[in-house]
Amino acid sequence: MKNMNLGQQLVEYFINNGMYVLQQFSRHFLISIYGVLLAAIVGVPIGIWISRSKKLSDVVIGIANVIQTIPSLAMLSIIMLGLGLGVNTVIVTVFLYSLLPIIKNTYTGMQNVNEDILDAGKGIGMTAFQRLRFIELPLSMSVIMAGIRNALVLAIGITAIGSFVGSGGLGDIIIRGTNATNGAAIILAGALPTAIMAIISDGVLGFLEKKLDPSRH
Amino acid sequence: MNKRRITIVSVLAMAMIFLSGCGFPGLSSSSDDTIRIAALNTTEQQILASMDQQMIEHYTDLHVTIISNLGSSNVSFEAMKRGDADMSAARYDGTDLTTILGKTSSGNPKTDSETVKKAFQKKYGFTYLPSYGFADTYAWMVTQATAKKYNLNTVSDMKTHASELSVGLDQTWMKRSGDGYPAFQKKYNFSFGTASPMQIGLVYDAVSAGKMDAVLGYSTDGRISSYNLKLLKDDQNFFPPYYAYPVATTKILKEHPELIKVLSKLSGKISVSTMQKLNYQADDELKEPSVVAKEFLQKHNYFEGSND
Amino acid sequence: MISFFQANGAELILKIWQHIYLSFISLGLGIIVAVPIAIGLTRAKKIAGFVIGLASVLQTVPSMALLALMIPIFGIGSLPAIVALFIYSLLPILRNTYIGLNNVDPSVLDAAKGIGMSNMQSIIQVELKLAAPVIMAGIRLSATFVIAWATLASYIGAGGLGDFIFNGLNLYRSDLILAGSVPVILLALITDYILGKIEYVLTPKSIRV
Repeated sequence: MKNMNLGQQLVEYFINNGMYVLQQFSRHFLISIYGVLLAAIVGVPIGIWISRSKKLSDVVIGIANVIQTIPSLAMLSIIMLGLGLGVNTVIVTVFLYSLLPIIKNTYTGMQNVNEDILDAGKGIGMTAFQRLRFIELPLSMSVIMAGIRNALVLAIGITAIGSFVGSGGLGDIIIRGTNATNGAAIILAGALPTAIMAIISDGVLGFLEKKLDPSRH
Repeated sequence: MNKRRITIVSVLAMAMIFLSGCGFPGLSSSSDDTIRIAALNTTEQQILASMDQQMIEHYTDLHVTIISNLGSSNVSFEAMKRGDADMSAARYDGTDLTTILGKTSSGNPKTDSETVKKAFQKKYGFTYLPSYGFADTYAWMVTQATAKKYNLNTVSDMKTHASELSVGLDQTWMKRSGDGYPAFQKKYNFSFGTASPMQIGLVYDAVSAGKMDAVLGYSTDGRISSYNLKLLKDDQNFFPPYYAYPVATTKILKEHPELIKVLSKLSGKISVSTMQKLNYQADDELKEPSVVAKEFLQKHNYFEGSND
Repeated sequence: MISFFQANGAELILKIWQHIYLSFISLGLGIIVAVPIAIGLTRAKKIAGFVIGLASVLQTVPSMALLALMIPIFGIGSLPAIVALFIYSLLPILRNTYIGLNNVDPSVLDAAKGIGMSNMQSIIQVELKLAAPVIMAGIRLSATFVIAWATLASYIGAGGLGDFIFNGLNLYRSDLILAGSVPVILLALITDYILGKIEYVLTPKSIRV
């Protein structure tokens, strides 16, 4: 193996282990997506809720901010003490870190909706739910999507660290590379797909965000 | 407002149920037909875990998920105790004797092994399944040149030069009780000039590149033969034998008795030299442990017909 | 608790010091490099989009991947860690400095020119001063990143509080995990708080919220 250069080693690695990398790639992506999805299910309603009350929003966003400041390895380890080793711990960690961008952006999106449009909605007899469903949510969708985008990029990074508590994913390949002889190729084989996943997710959701932007219609 | 609050609470509640209950599709996180295997961060453990996984999935309809990269056998033990894992890919009886049970070796490997099996069954409800057939042990190793220079054949031979030697050690061995560095210093009655803790996988390169004079590694590592390293004899019998066994909770074996039959097929099938070869493929030939395991099992037709 | 501190107190202080040292060197380098680049970019708007885009992509790369990639290049220890953390600290400072400088009212710049200030004087005495709160917000965000990722840097041999956490994970000892986590969380929160206060002080009274 030693007479091959890094590029050749990398090719050799993918020939040997292509399926395995693919499995870990999809596992990695699923873990990140589940965490973000849960955060969206919880965070969007919270964002809507606190947009009705300034006091509440300060408190909730303050708490989410503190969570965000906590180094993720510390958070992961502490949650591990409670929830044990394995994938659930990582999903909960991803969930917690995804909350802030999603709550904050939902809140901002709601705040940015023009009062006049809401009044018009009231004028034509829309209920509060209808106003939310047909005016506020569509108008703030792009901003909410931006929050989900930030959350997903963060999530992919956190999932990589999750390998330290045994959740699997591309972090496994990176860690093994740091342990193996001439592991540079293996490190790359884990790190490149992780980086590519993050960059592509960022790009795709960025595209969606633009599509949903009402000012572009 | 009130209605919305109810909605929010119910959404939160649903999310929590989702989290704690059924598990996540595609991740086999925690459902009834999933076996969770704990594996350490060593190549050997990851190969064995993949073998167990592929054997189980080959012979049964169960799903298997591997909890990988655990830092020490303490962690995989705790994982089983807490119910995070249903089995360990490999436990070494010598390690369990000294670190988990806190006993010293009786000097007789057979007695030691029996002690561990009984205590684990009785105290923790863990069952030692039949051994894979090889023993792994910590071993001091040096390059042939160093061996010549200091005239080293046994561990005790290092004593006269100990203060000038710089050695590389497994991070966890440094601090662990039982068969760790503190006990080693007592038994052999010397300590090294500098002892640097490092990733266990890196010690072989460190010693062969001359960065360390001696290192403590695993006797089953494939790089020992490929780097032509010299193993020093443990003349004080400090390291008890570490035969490798799959260990499962008695609970999971009761729920899925077929596991015993499937895993017993691997009994005695992996010799030290086989394990060294497999380790070498993963460490030096750019193959993932799961790929190494697959090729090995396919070559032997999943040990069809053995121990039926 | 007390016996833990007796046994590990000295080591704990050393690790906290290493952590602060790693974080601040990387952050300091980030400021020294990013602020001048951002100033340059405001004078060369054509390439600004490209440079900031590139930095955004770098920021997207997961920290674990970036840290691991440093090993083949720089080996293990504090050097690769500082390089990786430095790269992470760049984007928020770069972006915020650029935005902050661009938001400076053009009429103020004209006034500066009018009273005979050189380009340099205008940047230092007018623009940077007005953009300070936004730049500070970027530095604050970078500080949070750097402290967080310095924890991970322990894995590539850089030391710091991550050592306790990884030892704790490797031995399943909650005392070691907490001995690493609690100080690092406090360090992150306190740094964020102090930098937040500085940001507030730098903000002109008229626009404070």
